[in-house]
Amino acid sequence: MSIEGTAILVIFVAVLTAFTLIVRHLYRVMMKGKPEDRFSRWPDRVKSVLVFVFGQARVLAQPAGIGHFIIFWGFIFITLGTLENILSMIIPAFSYSRFIGADAAGIIVLLQDVFGILVIGDIIVSLVRRFFFKPLRLESDDPKTTEEAVFILALIFVLILLMYGMRGTGILLEPNRYSRLYAPFSFYASNIISHWNINMHLANRIFTWCHHLIIFFFLLYIPFSKHIHILGAIPNVFFRNLGPMGTLSRMDFEDEDAEKFGVSKLTDFTWKQILDLYACTECGRCQAACPAYLTEKPLSPYRMIHHLRGELMSERKMILADGETPDIVPDTVTEDEIWSCTTCGACMQECPPFIEHVQKIVDMRRYLVLTESRFPQEMQPVFRNMEVNYNPWAFGYASRADWLDGLDVPLASDKKRFDVLYWVGCVGSFDSRGQKIARAMIELLKKSGVDFAVLGVEERCCGETARRMGNEYLAQMLIEGNIDTLKKYQFNRILTTCPHGLNTFKVEYPQFGYEKPVVHHTQFLLELVREGRLKVKGELGHDWTYHDSCYLGRYNSIMDEPREVLALVHGRDGKEFERNRKRSFCCGAGGGRMWMEENTGTKISEARLREFVEIGSDHLYTACPFCMTMFEDAAKVMDREDIEVEDIAEALVKVT
Amino acid sequence: MKIITLLKRVPDTEARILINQEGTGIREDGLKYVINPYDEYAIEEGLKVREKVGGDSKVTVVTMGPEEATELIRTALAMGADDAVHIVDPLLENAGPFTSAAVLAKVIEEEGFDIIFCGKQAIDDDMAQVQTILAEMLDIPQVNVATEFELSDDGKKAVLSRRIEGGDEKYETALPAIISCEKGLNEPRYASLPGIMKAKKKEIRKKTLADLGFETKPQGGRAEIVRWLPLPKSGECKIVEAEELQDAVKELVRLLREESKVL
Repeated sequence: MSIEGTAILVIFVAVLTAFTLIVRHLYRVMMKGKPEDRFSRWPDRVKSVLVFVFGQARVLAQPAGIGHFIIFWGFIFITLGTLENILSMIIPAFSYSRFIGADAAGIIVLLQDVFGILVIGDIIVSLVRRFFFKPLRLESDDPKTTEEAVFILALIFVLILLMYGMRGTGILLEPNRYSRLYAPFSFYASNIISHWNINMHLANRIFTWCHHLIIFFFLLYIPFSKHIHILGAIPNVFFRNLGPMGTLSRMDFEDEDAEKFGVSKLTDFTWKQILDLYACTECGRCQAACPAYLTEKPLSPYRMIHHLRGELMSERKMILADGETPDIVPDTVTEDEIWSCTTCGACMQECPPFIEHVQKIVDMRRYLVLTESRFPQEMQPVFRNMEVNYNPWAFGYASRADWLDGLDVPLASDKKRFDVLYWVGCVGSFDSRGQKIARAMIELLKKSGVDFAVLGVEERCCGETARRMGNEYLAQMLIEGNIDTLKKYQFNRILTTCPHGLNTFKVEYPQFGYEKPVVHHTQFLLELVREGRLKVKGELGHDWTYHDSCYLGRYNSIMDEPREVLALVHGRDGKEFERNRKRSFCCGAGGGRMWMEENTGTKISEARLREFVEIGSDHLYTACPFCMTMFEDAAKVMDREDIEVEDIAEALVKVT
Repeated sequence: MKIITLLKRVPDTEARILINQEGTGIREDGLKYVINPYDEYAIEEGLKVREKVGGDSKVTVVTMGPEEATELIRTALAMGADDAVHIVDPLLENAGPFTSAAVLAKVIEEEGFDIIFCGKQAIDDDMAQVQTILAEMLDIPQVNVATEFELSDDGKKAVLSRRIEGGDEKYETALPAIISCEKGLNEPRYASLPGIMKAKKKEIRKKTLADLGFETKPQGGRAEIVRWLPLPKSGECKIVEAEELQDAVKELVRLLREESKVL
C-alpha cells in the first residue's frame, strides 16, 4: 500500500472510531432519560422515514424547503463519491463501476456533478435569504446560531469547489476518467483549471486531501453543532408519535412516597424527548407558526428546544455520571414561557423531524403545579372550582342543569338507554353565550328526532383544561368521576359541541379504560342533513368565513364537515382565512389560557380577528365555544361589536 | 412555637342553601362542603409563621365537626399543617358558639399553644363569636379581622393591622393571642401533590366529648336558635306597557300609589 493510502486509511479509521465513540456517548446520554414505548407499528415507522426523511415531505411544505432538499440529496450523492475516492486511495483498483456497471456508476457521477452546482446556487440563495430577507423563522436570541449556520454553509461551499477542483484536475491528468456526458460541470472546471500554470498532479492531491480532511472534520463537528440533526432527525422521524396528535402521557400516582412529579431536570424527560433535542434543525418553522411568539409572548418553541439542547450539551458529562444537574425550570425554560403556550400544536404540525413540543411544556407545567404548586395566581380559583363544583367558574355544581328549565330535555338518569349522549360541557351549561349554542343544538336534535339524553347535574368538567394546565391529579379525579357516571348508562355515541371535550373523550379517556365513539356536532349535523333527518329550507346567502379550532382541525382532522354545513346554510362556499385548516391560527384560549391573563403583547384573539376583518366577509363562524368567547371578547375590546360570531349549530337552526 | 389553627367545615360558597322542612337546619343532601374560606387564611398564616420561626415549630389544626370533616382536615394537612385534632361527637351537632368555644378551649389547652389563628367568621351561620368567647375562656388577648400580621423577631409579640372604614388600625399584642383572619391577609397556598401524599400519613387525633372529660355538652350560652326560616319570596316584576310614554308614566304612578302604596 502506498504511503498516501496508508495515511488516509489510518486517518479514516481514526475518524470513524472517534465518530462512533461520539455517537455512542450521545446515545448513552439519551438513554439516561425515562423509558417510553415507541416500538410498535414498524412498517409505519419505516414508511415515515421514507416519506419524511428521504422524501423530505414536511421540509418541502415551504418553498425554502427546496434548498434543504437539494443539500440533503447533494450530501448523499457527494458523500458516495467521497467514499469511493477514499476507498480507491486505499485499494487502488476500487471503483463503483466494478460492482454496478459503468452506466449506473456514471449516473451517480452525473448526480454528483449536477447536485454540486445546485448546492452552490442553494448556498448563495440561503445566505441572501438569511441576511437580506431576515425571515421570521430565523430570528434567534443566540448569535451563535447564525455564526454556526454561516460557518457550515461556507464549509459546504468550499467542499463543493474542492470537489470540482479534484475532478477538474483529475480529468486533466487522466482524460478518460469520466465521460463528458456524465460530468459536464467537471469538464467545465477542467477547462478553467487547464489555463492555470500549476503542477496538476500536486494540485489534484492537495484538492483531494483538503476535501477529505474537511469531510473528516465535518464528521466530528456535526455532533456538537446544529447539524447534530443529521444524526437525530432520522431516528426521531422513525420513533415519531404515530398516534393522535398531542396525546398527553398518563401519570401514575400510585407511589405515595414520590417527592416529585413532572419534569424539572433534563433526565426527567423520556429518551424520546431527549432525542427530540438532537433532532432540531433550527429551521424555526415552529416559531413562525406559534401564536404566542407571533404576538410577542416570551415563548418560542424553537428557542425552547435550542436552549434545552444547549443545556443538555453542557451537562451531558454530568448526566452520564448520574450527577446533580441544574433545574431546567425555570433556569433554561422560564415560567413565563411555559405558561404562554396554548397547546395549539402549530409547532408540531410544522416540525419536519416531528419534535413534540407540547408534551414537554405540559410536563414542565406538571412539575410546577403538582410538585411546586407554583402557577399564575388566577389559576388557583379555576382549580378550586373544578375540584369543588366541577366547572372552571364559581358556579355551584347543582346549578349545572339550570339552563334546561323549560326546555323539556331528557335526562340520562331518567332514560337510562338512548342512542346519543349530548355532552353539553361547562361552557354550554354555564356561559350565557354557550347556552345559546346548546339551545340551538337541542332544537336541532329534537327536530331530527334523535334519541338523545344529557347528564344534567351528573356531568362534570371533562378534565381537558386541568390536564393541559398541568394539574394531572385534578384531571384524573374529574376523568374518573365522569367515567363512573358514563358507565351507568347505555348509549352508542357521545356528541360534543366542544372540540376540547371531543379530543379528550376520543384520545384521553381510553387511557383510563373508557372507550366510546365520539362525534363533534359539526359532523353529526352534516350526518343528519345527509340522512334527510334534518331538512334545509332556504339559504341565508351571506359571505361566510370559518375559523378552524385547533383541537378540531389540527388535532382531529375535522375540517370539511363544518364547511359543508355552512355551504348548505349560505348556498355558497366560504371565504377562507389565509391561515386555515391544519395551519389555522389559535384563538388564544387553549391549554387553559382561557382562564389566564394575557398581559404581554398583542392578544392572540385580536390578531386573529384582525385577519377576519381583512377578509371582508359578513359572518365569522366557529365550532368551538372557547374560540367563540375569545372572538366575542376581542370584538368588544376592538370596538367592533358589529362582528357577529356564531356557532355552526346556530347557523343551521335558522334554515331548518 | 406551637401554632393552633381552627378549621370549620361549611357548605360551599356557591351551594344552594335550602332550609329543611322542620326548620331545624339546612338540607344537606347534595351539598358540597369546603373549608371555611376565612379559615384558609388562618391556616396559611399559621404555616407562614412556622416557616419564619423554623425549629420545632408546629401547626396543629383543630376542628369540631362531623366525620366528613376529615377530608377537609386532610386538605389543610396537605397545605402543610403538621397534625390535627378532630372532635367528633353526635352531641355537638348544631352546637352554638358557646359550646363550640368551650370544647375548642379544652382541646387547645391540652395541646398547648403560643398563638391561635382562626377565620374572622364562618360563612355558614356568620356568628363570628367563637374567637371572642375562646379568648375570654383562655384569658388571652384577641385581635379580630386582621389584614396584616408580623411576628416580632423574638416571637413574643406581634404587630397587626385591621382594615377599618377609611384606614388601617395598627395593633401590637403580646403572645399568646388569638387572631381572627380577614381576606387580604395572605394568599392561601394550593396543596402540592407531595403535600397531598404526605397528608395521608399525618396524624388526625379523633376525640369525643368524653375523651375531653365532658360528661354532657357544655352549656352556657344565653341565646339559642329557635327556628330556621327560608327567605320570603321576592315579588314579581311588573312591566308597564302603553302606546305613549305619558300613559305609561300615569299608569306607573297609579300602581305605585294604589297597589304598592309607596307614594
